Amino acid sequence: MGREVSESCIDSLLTEMVTTYCNRFYANKPELAARRIEAIGFQVGHQLSERYTMERPRFSDHLEAIKFICKDFWSELFKKQIDNLKTNHRGTFVLQDNRFRWLTHLSLDPTTENTEDPNGRSENKGAQVASMHLYFPCGIIRGALSNLGIPCAVSADISNLPQCSFVIRIKA
Amino acid sequence: MIVCVAVVGHQNNPLYIQSFTEADDALKLHHIVHSSLDVVDERVNNPRKSGPTLNETFLGLLYPTENYKVYGYLTNTKVKFILVTTDLDVRDADVRNFFRRFHAAYVDAVSNPFHVPGKKIISRTFADRVSTIVKSFGLSSAD
Repeated sequence: MGREVSESCIDSLLTEMVTTYCNRFYANKPELAARRIEAIGFQVGHQLSERYTMERPRFSDHLEAIKFICKDFWSELFKKQIDNLKTNHRGTFVLQDNRFRWLTHLSLDPTTENTEDPNGRSENKGAQVASMHLYFPCGIIRGALSNLGIPCAVSADISNLPQCSFVIRIKA
Repeated sequence: MIVCVAVVGHQNNPLYIQSFTEADDALKLHHIVHSSLDVVDERVNNPRKSGPTLNETFLGLLYPTENYKVYGYLTNTKVKFILVTTDLDVRDADVRNFFRRFHAAYVDAVSNPFHVPGKKIISRTFADRVSTIVKSFGLSSAD
């Protein structure tokens, strides 16, 4: 019997965690803040993968584990599956979520993202803030996969919001 | 009667080992657990066609010794569970049931935010839960 958490609580917690790390603990070192947030995600993913792979046969290859992340793992976290999975069959996987839940409540205007105007800098900052919120889910994916025995690097791409792509590079 | 249970990490590092005998034979039981690890590796690397379903977490009877039977279980995260029992007549369903409950207890223990992954499990709650599961082993498959 799984216990559930209110979605708004998770949203607030994530926002608060990002602000705290970026503005209080590591105010002038965004890359350090990013690493800390990613590490928290890593631990969460590590523990969740242990729980969600219970009563399930072991994965025979990488693709099966990635499929597990796309389907069951994502459903448990976001109540939906990954919308599109691409791979080059050489260890790189792109997981595309057309409406990533943790970004939908951020008030960023996606239409102004590509326009060139004097306010360009502030929008740039908007994208920067959004990408800060993605280190946590990146860490979750990396933690889950490394617990399944797949060391990898995960990055996120938000060039067209609210679509979000996670790029997984498996270390050989 | 279950005489020993063990949790072994993915690098064959012991995470938890507990014996349930009055006698002073912990060392002997540890040795049995230790030697069973090779059998687990062998089972996983050369799956038998006729054996349990491919890649199932439950590995079945690893090997019988004179006095003991050793069962194994390998999770998706490459953590091994070993069970040593003196019962000669063990039902497979009972062992499966045991491992299922044991796995649930293990997952709850490592989900503790203060637990460091890959380190020994030091938790009274976990120990209590394990001894409850061990005591109820084979009594009934009601759970």
